[in-house]
Amino acid sequence: MYIQVDNAITFIATGGKPFDASLPTVVLLHGSGTDHRGWALQARWFAFHGYSVFAPDFPAHSLSDGEALTSIESMAAWLVRALDTAKVHNVHLVGHSQGFLVALEASTLLGDRLKSVTALATASAIPVNPALVETAQTNPKAAAAMMLQWGFGTQHQYGASAVPGMQPIGIGVRIMASNPLAIDLAACVDYNKGAQRAQQLATIGCPSCVILAGQDRMTPKREGLKLAKDLNTQAQVVEESGHMLLMEAPKQSLKIMKTFIQSVEK
Amino acid sequence: MSKSSFLGADTIALHSGYQPESDHGSRAVPIYQTTSYVFDSVDEASALFNVEQGGHIYSRITNPTVAVLEQRLAALEGGAGAICTASGMSALFVSFFSLCSAGDHIVSATQIYGSTITLLKHTLKRFNIDCTFVDINDQQAVSDAIQDNTKLVFCESIGNPGLAVSNLPAIAKTAHAQGIPLVVDATFATPYLNNPIEHGADVVVHSVTKWIGGHGVAVGGVVIDGGNFDWLKSGRFPTLTQPYEPFHGMNFWEEFGPAALAMRIRCESMRDIGAAMTPHNAFLLLQGLETLSLRMQQHVSNAQAIVTWLQQQDAVAWVNHPDINAEAHTKALFPKGAGSMLTFGVKGGRDAGAAFINALQLSSNLANVGDSRTLVLHPGSTTHSRLSEADLVAAGIGADLIRVSVGIETLKDIQADFGLGLRAAAKVVAMQAEA
Repeated sequence: MYIQVDNAITFIATGGKPFDASLPTVVLLHGSGTDHRGWALQARWFAFHGYSVFAPDFPAHSLSDGEALTSIESMAAWLVRALDTAKVHNVHLVGHSQGFLVALEASTLLGDRLKSVTALATASAIPVNPALVETAQTNPKAAAAMMLQWGFGTQHQYGASAVPGMQPIGIGVRIMASNPLAIDLAACVDYNKGAQRAQQLATIGCPSCVILAGQDRMTPKREGLKLAKDLNTQAQVVEESGHMLLMEAPKQSLKIMKTFIQSVEK
Repeated sequence: MSKSSFLGADTIALHSGYQPESDHGSRAVPIYQTTSYVFDSVDEASALFNVEQGGHIYSRITNPTVAVLEQRLAALEGGAGAICTASGMSALFVSFFSLCSAGDHIVSATQIYGSTITLLKHTLKRFNIDCTFVDINDQQAVSDAIQDNTKLVFCESIGNPGLAVSNLPAIAKTAHAQGIPLVVDATFATPYLNNPIEHGADVVVHSVTKWIGGHGVAVGGVVIDGGNFDWLKSGRFPTLTQPYEPFHGMNFWEEFGPAALAMRIRCESMRDIGAAMTPHNAFLLLQGLETLSLRMQQHVSNAQAIVTWLQQQDAVAWVNHPDINAEAHTKALFPKGAGSMLTFGVKGGRDAGAAFINALQLSSNLANVGDSRTLVLHPGSTTHSRLSEADLVAAGIGADLIRVSVGIETLKDIQADFGLGLRAAAKVVAMQAEA
């Protein structure tokens, strides 16, 4: 669906069903330079199993208009305005990589509307090599290729696909090369409140779930384990996956996500 | 890299899409000779049917062996996804069928395979899909032929059998300027010689039966979704950008983006039309694909040598190969050579040509190309025999035209065989002179 946020047309993927704000809403937040399509399979499952799905393309990404947001804080504030626009009250935040930094920051703004947080292939801080940020500014296609070469695990480098016949690297290159990757990466570099926000969530007892990838070279597993510790939860690790966990292991990641969110809803 | 893999082309051809499976460690891609797949549970079955998870349901839709071939070909061509089909013609049909509906229109090159002409000119017309045929390298003609209801521009990267090389960047520029995708049949080129997506194509089709399979043992086709075309921005493609009722209103563009067309073909054409590649054929075609680059080097070098040799023979009236007096775009698109197809005519016209073909012992007179063995054919009386005289002229097919798919045999043996044919042709010429 398309909604208006800050006078810009914004695309929100709903998993193939009309959005219903009265249902518990799974908010799926994409990572740097990517878009809602990384969640295509997980979104459909939630949408067809009693939840509403709210998976935005952040401003200036893929199907959304507007100016790219330059900080994690501004992305979080924008997300809350988008949720307000859609009258979403019952929020399960799920974020991949940078998307989880946004979730951490948004958690401070949602009050009791927030029901849980789920982290996929991420950490409380995401430092980025300056050379990659610079490449993203000058040659987005090259930067996208660098990130995907680094981001996908071994199986996908050898052409594996969870969806028969598809080429996730090819799909990823096309999506990332046309999105404001450099701005996203710079926002990740600048954000340093992740550990603090995670500890705050643990303090208030917000249910949390951390899913990590054993072959993650973007946000290494050891960093994800620190995040899980800050959130006061146990991380679950999909060993055969790289950083692009939601595309590389959609079935395994969904199983953990849905088991957790269903348990919160009970 | 291709746009879909960080591996080199030869590595992709050998390894992409399959790593030894955990149960038995089979190094070769196994043949999953099964119609169907056991579901873990009713919930899993439901998830598969509703595209909530990837996997296999029924081999008309997907099959693990076929999927390896699909992923390999998508990676080799730099696409976002690929769908293998029962034949090259079915690959073309599902491409057109997925982009066009009744009342739509296609702009096509004139110099293309005879059955494709029939499909575009007669079969699709029954479904109220019209086609305008143009000189595809005349960009003004292409542009002028595009109508409000045009859904695609189609060409072969090397035309069959005229061997005209399509100027892909120029055609893509013309088509894209009007919001139209370019669909390219790249069968004669193979991914080894040219990758159309790099040159602006949006959809690539192959008859995998030919050089990719390479051994004349299995029929198959593939559609590769280039993933670069913005179907929404074009505004012409409701099949990809509007809800699809049979899948609960699925919007392929919104949900799958660069792989929208591939997913539409998977969800609709493979289900409703069912022109599926068999797993055994996929296995056979994979064996060919694994040595594609090695074979293509020999195909091309033999073809270039045969062209030179034929040009030196008294009995030969003319020889045609794209590398002869190659245009600038041919050189740019085919730096490794423009394929292993050639056409020629012998002095004495059709009768002498028939004598040439009938005298051959090594080369095979048959309706195929891209076999490892040398193949010859008289298109005017076979593959293109259903065309009118005017269509034959437009397709560049004279009565004396002999089509050769140069194989990878030892060069001197091909030359010796053709020598037999030329002597037989010369006898016909002598008899004609006496008469």
